[in-house]
Amino acid sequence: MLGATHSKFASLHDVELCTQAATGERRAFGELVRRHGSAVRGVLRRMGAQGAEADDVAQDAFLTAFERIAEFRGEGTFAGWVRKIAARLYLRRLQRDRRLGAIATEEIEDEPDVGGGDADAAIDLDEALKTLGPAERLCVTLCFGAGLSHSEAAEALNLPLGTVKSHVKRGLDKLRTRLAPGDGADLEGRRGNG
Amino acid sequence: MAEIEFERRLERLFAATSELSDAGAFAERVARRLDAGWMARRWLIGAAGLVGGVIGVSQLMVSNLFQRAEAVGDSARLISTSLNHLSNGTDWVAAASSGGGVVWVAAAAAVVMMGFVLSRVIGEI
Repeated sequence: MLGATHSKFASLHDVELCTQAATGERRAFGELVRRHGSAVRGVLRRMGAQGAEADDVAQDAFLTAFERIAEFRGEGTFAGWVRKIAARLYLRRLQRDRRLGAIATEEIEDEPDVGGGDADAAIDLDEALKTLGPAERLCVTLCFGAGLSHSEAAEALNLPLGTVKSHVKRGLDKLRTRLAPGDGADLEGRRGNG
Repeated sequence: MAEIEFERRLERLFAATSELSDAGAFAERVARRLDAGWMARRWLIGAAGLVGGVIGVSQLMVSNLFQRAEAVGDSARLISTSLNHLSNGTDWVAAASSGGGVVWVAAAAAVVMMGFVLSRVIGEI
């Protein structure tokens, strides 16, 4: 019975599941959680959240999404919408715990030795992100992982727009050096389309 | 141009997240929290409706509404008696207002309705 219900929802598109969830159908929403839970947790981990904390925030994000599901108009993807919610919740938590200030005002150090784009070293995105400073990683992940614009990221981080752009540019420069051209194709093939 | 291509590639890399091994357990934890929240909400709505009903009844009692309603009933009986003098064929007014029972039933119905409306309003909130 449970399996039949699951397969019934498994064949539906995200937008259809959202429509059903908006009528209070929690099983439809459960299918959305099953589909996109890993992506949301992944973004939070890349923003610097540790495993348990990332899971807590991701759960809160999905609960918030369920409460506000009627606001989702299907203009973007459901996963993108929840990722944005999760990113903002995580930033709020950092702010509440007074951790955001320390990250955001992090001193920009001299360029570390990132080792160049060695094609033999198959460094994936997560490894590459580790070479970024906390502020750079946060800004890059907010803009490219959570889909926030530079202005939205600046507002969420309570930082000047120029500072955010600077963090993103420095982060991208490091990632470009780290992620050799060949690595991306390999990676995308390995990771599947999740 | 190369910069834009790299940014697109980066977006694809961010989007291409592999499923975590405990994805099912995570979904179940979210479902449990959803169910718990739903249950708490139902209890809260029910309790609020009950409290609203009790407050409504007490307010009706305090404002002597029932006595006033009975006075209105007496007036109605008086009117019906007068009408009977005018026309012997129409005695429905007297039938409707005979005794205070009708007033009490109407008051009880009003209280039930008030509780129901309160529950709905809180539910919508």
